[in-house]
Amino acid sequence: MLKSWKLKEIVLMSLFAVVFGIVYLLFLHVGNIWAGFIGPIAYEWIFGIWFIVSIICMYIIRKPGAAVVSETIAAAIEVLLGNAVGPRLILSGVIQGLGAEAVFAATRYKRFDLWVLMLAGVGSSIFSFVYGYFLGGFSVYGTGYVALMLGIRILSGAMIAGMGGKAVADGLLATGSLRGYAISRSKKGEARA
Amino acid sequence: MKNALHRMNPSVKFLAITICMFTMAFFFDPWTPLVFWVGVLVLQFFFSEIDWKKWLLFMLPFFVTAFGYFWTTLVFAEDGSGSVVWSIWNLQITETQLNHALSLSFRVLAFSSLSLLFALTTNPVTFILSLMQQLKLSPKIAYGVMVGYQFLPVLKDEFILIGQAHRLRGASEEKNTLQRLLGVRRILIPMLAGAVRKAERAAFAMEARGFTGERRSSYFRVISIGKVDAALVILFLFVLVLSCTHIWWLG
Amino acid sequence: MLFHARKRVRLVHEVIHFDKVSFRYPDEEKWILDELSFTVKRGERIVITGPSGCGKTTLLYICNRLYPDNCDGILSGSVKLFGKNNSSFIPGEINHRIATVFQDPDSQFCMQTVEEELAFTLENLHVKRDEMENRIRDVLALTDLTEFRYAVIQKLSGGQKQRIATACALIMKPEVLLLDEPLSHLDPFTAKKYVEWLDELQKKYAMTIVAIEHRLDLWGDFFERSISLNKNEIAPVLIKRESSKQKNDSLVVDKLQANTYLQETSFTLKRGEVAVLAGPNGSGKTTLLKALCKLIPSSGTVEPKLVGYVPQSPEFLFLTKKVQDEVGFGGGNNTEEMIARLQLLPIADSHPFAVSHGQKRRVAIAAMLSDGREVILMDEPTSGQDAKALSELFQLIDERAREGTTFLIVTHDMEFANCLADSILLMKDGQLTGKFDADIVWSDEQLLMDHHLLPPKEVIHREKCFA
Ligand SMILES: Nc1ncnc2c1ncn2[C@@H]1O[C@H](COP(=O)(O)OP(=O)(O)OP(=O)(O)O)[C@@H](O)[C@H]1O
Ligand SMILES: Nc1ncnc2c1ncn2[C@@H]1O[C@H](COP(=O)(O)OP(=O)(O)OP(=O)(O)O)[C@@H](O)[C@H]1O
Ligand SMILES: [Mg+2]
Ligand SMILES: [Mg+2]
Repeated sequence: MLKSWKLKEIVLMSLFAVVFGIVYLLFLHVGNIWAGFIGPIAYEWIFGIWFIVSIICMYIIRKPGAAVVSETIAAAIEVLLGNAVGPRLILSGVIQGLGAEAVFAATRYKRFDLWVLMLAGVGSSIFSFVYGYFLGGFSVYGTGYVALMLGIRILSGAMIAGMGGKAVADGLLATGSLRGYAISRSKKGEARA
Repeated sequence: MKNALHRMNPSVKFLAITICMFTMAFFFDPWTPLVFWVGVLVLQFFFSEIDWKKWLLFMLPFFVTAFGYFWTTLVFAEDGSGSVVWSIWNLQITETQLNHALSLSFRVLAFSSLSLLFALTTNPVTFILSLMQQLKLSPKIAYGVMVGYQFLPVLKDEFILIGQAHRLRGASEEKNTLQRLLGVRRILIPMLAGAVRKAERAAFAMEARGFTGERRSSYFRVISIGKVDAALVILFLFVLVLSCTHIWWLG
Repeated sequence: MLFHARKRVRLVHEVIHFDKVSFRYPDEEKWILDELSFTVKRGERIVITGPSGCGKTTLLYICNRLYPDNCDGILSGSVKLFGKNNSSFIPGEINHRIATVFQDPDSQFCMQTVEEELAFTLENLHVKRDEMENRIRDVLALTDLTEFRYAVIQKLSGGQKQRIATACALIMKPEVLLLDEPLSHLDPFTAKKYVEWLDELQKKYAMTIVAIEHRLDLWGDFFERSISLNKNEIAPVLIKRESSKQKNDSLVVDKLQANTYLQETSFTLKRGEVAVLAGPNGSGKTTLLKALCKLIPSSGTVEPKLVGYVPQSPEFLFLTKKVQDEVGFGGGNNTEEMIARLQLLPIADSHPFAVSHGQKRRVAIAAMLSDGREVILMDEPTSGQDAKALSELFQLIDERAREGTTFLIVTHDMEFANCLADSILLMKDGQLTGKFDADIVWSDEQLLMDHHLLPPKEVIHREKCFA
């Protein structure tokens, strides 16, 4: 898989991971404080933000693995930044990335419209929720409460990661700095077609 | 001796910690995570030279989170069997519920101190080098991450600088938290555009120095595994076994 | 000895050979390079010249084989390196023999410290571990950088980074050294030393050197031959401007002090005055400008509160999606005129990030001017600019100064400073030495030496005539 990757694409993911690592940390603190008052459901509203880097990178680079690898690097960078969630976070990153990757793989990496991106956000939500259910011990909660958490997380994944991710990447595309990546080639192709 | 955890091979430390965390996930009584948490603190006290003030600062939000887990579990937990131990207004709290609540809270504390132990005793560069040397991580990824890490302080400064430069232009000042979070969006695009450019140039520079992403034949800094690692792994496992078997020795 | 054990290679006389080479980027219609042919022979010293944006850096990237693979560009014609077709090399092979120092000092490193960066290069070359220590020590001694061995690269000043990039290139024992505007961030004295040092090195090891440069005067007679990508541009000559200094004060700085580096600073500038701020690399010029417009925490007072600032990377300032909106953002009433006069009309609808570097700077200046800023600070607006852009900038500053705007400009270009400045502020080790008349500075050797400056060529010539 890595053979077909250019070095500049990997470094790009890594630098995006740093930028979003900073953003994630900002949100983690917000989430932590809320969680003190309203419990773990506090994270659910903003959970989508943690999937955004995988969707942005896949949307820009469009190569198999972009979602998993970028999300994993972002998690690793967050750990290096001194996030107290620690090494476990790297695994969460892999799993969240796999959720998004699964959706893109299902389209054979051919479609990157808004619906697919939102679906990828949902994929990350579901994967990460199953993982959280196990490790965070959600099984002690009532079914209703768990369903509510899942519902909010899916919504957040679709809106923040899917729509938000597309908005950010499109904003970046408009600045002209993405020439030389798959996203601008496809835009040209669409215009000509 | 005191710096043993700092000297430990990062990959080994990483694996040991991951194993501990996954084992913990199978326990729902309050004692296992509590004993484990104390064990981790003891390890950290004897074998590391971390700054405890900093530790406390990082832990603080997690105490808050642990408390959040505690009361929400009390209210929302499903399994309501067992005798009632507490009764507030019309809320009946049973023994099972209390145990679950305490268990989840201690789990949060145990996990976060374990993670902090890793973060505070590990040099990130050594960690990446070790991942490459011991766990056969692809050099392409490893050095890609290294570049990102190297730009971290630069991007952090830029984050602040861009915000201030915008204020200089006369962009409105955000007051409440929500507006500030939305304001992040305006800073994000210039930062990402800068990141794209930096990424491309750094990648070119690496290739110009002959980097192809293939495995290297020798390393300047060799990260090895030694006796200290074996000893510490045994200690970690000891704490783990101790906490999982507390039923036998605590009665 | 650093260069004694070179790999056994068949010695080919022609190191780089271009035959009718054309190149364009995949999403552009225009050919950047058009049927270009030239040859570089072993041991030659070549300079590539041409206006900004004419494709010099692109050409360099083709020479070290980063392009066309890395940008999917379209290349036609034949490129031969060491007598072989360039596509017949395996990845990385060519980079062991041709080393490159890039244009941008801030983003050409991937490790944290100087030592690690050098070791990274050696690992790529599959050098044995016991050999590494020696080679690192040797190259640091050779380049006079031993004291920086354990320094964190990102904390060094632009000039120091450029020298370290050169060391990283040399440790590969290359046959060919490519340099992309290596002097653009160096103070004049360091630049002169850099050239002398490169001269020695080349004589000793008979490397082939290919450099890109706008300002040939800094190099003396270093180069043997030049390849010009010049598309018939006549460079206008700068003529010393008349002072437009007025009576009343415009910028008043009192006891300004910031972080731990910038010492207490007080000075005033008059209305319409153009002042140049100069000093060695790392003396705190950028820090002072940032403190003046409150980008970093500082104590002391600055009048007026709102000053205009054109940073080295102007993108930081941009808030909107169109050049036109950007200029009009502050609600100025002469936006249209400003756009026309700064030749921004053709790009009025473009995204401010998507225009060329020189244009970005003009957009930033236009925005600052139409915001009605009385005082404008500029950080190294001259670095990497060609003669035409320089003269445009010069004219612009001259015009605005006569209309009463005050300028404070950081530059390492002494010719530019000489033509432009009413007064010169000198800085050293975080401290403002004082405010001087230009002529006094040029004739005071001690002052020049202390601040790593050299008198501009014109002044030297004039003195020669008198002698
Ligand atoms: N990746 C790219 N895709 C499309 N166009 C590009 C790309 N990189 C550069 N260009 C354009 O190609 C032209 C030549 O760029 P290049 O960087 O080679 O110029 P240069 O001669 O080095 O200029 P300068 O002296 O300012 O450094 C410019 O107009 C630039 O906008
Ligand atoms: N982010 C930073 N972290 C630590 N030190 C810094 C940082 N930025 C600058 N410095 C230090 O502050 C000093 C002044 O730097 P400054 O950038 O103001 O120099 P300068 O005069 O603009 O140099 P140059 O001519 O090379 O641009 C230098 O010694 C530099 O090493
Ligand atoms: Mg260039
Ligand atoms: Mg500077």
